[in-house]
Amino acid sequence: MIARRLRFKTSSPTQFVDITDKLREEVRKSGLRMGRIHLQSLHTTVGLAVNENEPLLLRDFESLLERLAPSGAGYEHDDFARRFEIALDEPVNGHAHCRQLLLTGFATLLVENGDLVLGRWQSVFAVELDGPRTRELAIQLDGDFEVRSRRSSALAAEVGRRAGGNVHVGTAADKELVELELNRQLLADPDPVAVPMRRLVEAGGKRLRPRLVQLTAHIGPRHDPLRAAALAAAVELLHNATLIHDDYVDESTHRRGRPTVAAAEGPERAIAVGDFYFAKATRLIAEIGNNDVTSTIADALEAICAAQIDDVALRGAYPGDHASYLKVVRGKTAALFAASCASGAQLSEATPDEVEALRRYGDLLGVAFQMADDMVDFSPSSGKPVGLDIRQRVLSLPLIYAAEDKEVGPEVRRLLAGSLGDAEVNRVTELVRSSDALKRVGDEARALVEGALHELETIELDGLRPTLVRLARSAVDRDS
Amino acid sequence: MTAQALQIDRELERLDGLWEDGLQDTYKSYMDAVGAYEPAERPRLALAAALIESGLRLQGLGGRAAAAAPLLMGDLCLARASRLLADHASQTLQVAFARAIEKMSANAASGEAGGPVRDFLVLALESGR
Repeated sequence: MIARRLRFKTSSPTQFVDITDKLREEVRKSGLRMGRIHLQSLHTTVGLAVNENEPLLLRDFESLLERLAPSGAGYEHDDFARRFEIALDEPVNGHAHCRQLLLTGFATLLVENGDLVLGRWQSVFAVELDGPRTRELAIQLDGDFEVRSRRSSALAAEVGRRAGGNVHVGTAADKELVELELNRQLLADPDPVAVPMRRLVEAGGKRLRPRLVQLTAHIGPRHDPLRAAALAAAVELLHNATLIHDDYVDESTHRRGRPTVAAAEGPERAIAVGDFYFAKATRLIAEIGNNDVTSTIADALEAICAAQIDDVALRGAYPGDHASYLKVVRGKTAALFAASCASGAQLSEATPDEVEALRRYGDLLGVAFQMADDMVDFSPSSGKPVGLDIRQRVLSLPLIYAAEDKEVGPEVRRLLAGSLGDAEVNRVTELVRSSDALKRVGDEARALVEGALHELETIELDGLRPTLVRLARSAVDRDS
Repeated sequence: MTAQALQIDRELERLDGLWEDGLQDTYKSYMDAVGAYEPAERPRLALAAALIESGLRLQGLGGRAAAAAPLLMGDLCLARASRLLADHASQTLQVAFARAIEKMSANAASGEAGGPVRDFLVLALESGR
């Protein structure tokens, strides 16, 4: 038997907190294979429920609770003049206690094969009835536990502990595992290649691709956090290797606010560093020993390189058209997003249907992400120099739409056909902003995200869905 | 056209010009180095090795940096080789080839002369069996 406490903060008076991922993680960390997890609320105004995590339905539940036990309905509990020994900060919360009576304060969930037994639409909620507050649930796990001899379990548990016990899908522990793995790999490499790559890695980046690998590595029955982190780190190294060569080709001087490898170390070094990490990443992936994963990433790498050639070729007809744009972006950006999603699922031995659905999710998300990235070039609050894509003649959908615009199109096309100094770049930027190009791109990106989310509806994701939804929406609705 | 030619023909999409421009000869020279592998495996393994050698040469690894177009063509050669190996080679051979490229690029980044590319790749083919 293992006993634990699950702590969380709430942010609203009434709130359905989905704790499914956290419980799954507790089961996984414990090594419980077959048995039960018992939950008990340690509060008289927090209930428990198992139901569907659908935002409108959650609002229905809130409305139902309000109708059954309305707030401010004159509860005797709130008549402080008649009560004894009440605290100075005693809340007016008779309604919350009554609502808790309608729910349950304890629950037992079954665990089989190391995972919670939940139906497709079932999520587990802690129901805050008098928030916002910090809350606590008692958890006990009992049954048959696996013998924990695997290095990965120990390391994941240690990372989880250091991350403040807040271990669930896609959060601090997962991210820290990837960072640890990246650092570990870079420490082993010779300085002439490791130093420039470390500078690039430490400069940040969104780490979306490794995150997708780690998230989708939860889908199948064989989730191993350390293998997932190894694959995620290799994918990030591969992505950075392609960026190093891209920056040289694009003659970019800065990336992530720091000089590019080509600018800082010269093109010869940049080519060598890119090649080193291209080879190292493919080796690390081969060493994982899953043929499907190796092939998936190799296909993506080939698509990236072919699209990069197309991209450069298209600059002769700058700014190009929508079809050419999509062809390039599908290869340059979306291929690795799709491969990240598919390979994570393959690593966990997900079904072919699940792998393909996630591959399509990644593909659509990748295209949407690139469109959002294009829009950032026109945002003065992004922290990046405005008009950089125009200056470098990088394929950009807002520019394509502005060039097609009846009003501003002729001037945009005329300016882009000539040499691009500061005045021309500023004028093109103004013209793009004054047209509806940015709105069109934004709408298109959001529609792609909805398409990506639609792909997720065909597969069983349990508690992973909200995280994948959040990630997809945040990839598009951003300013940097 | 032979079965062997058909096999590698499919792998030369976008690289036709390169084939006429030396890749074919490089491929033939590696066919001599893959004799220890199963006959069906040999063409693709020789092509993978030839693509790596041609790719690194196009990029100018260890010498003067290539311009954008040949660099990108070199990248495509490396990627195509990587995919060929992923689909047709053992894990041992994939690792051996990757380590060979790591060694050559680390040498290039350090400014060290590391010896001919072919020596590294033939060694990889031998150790990857």
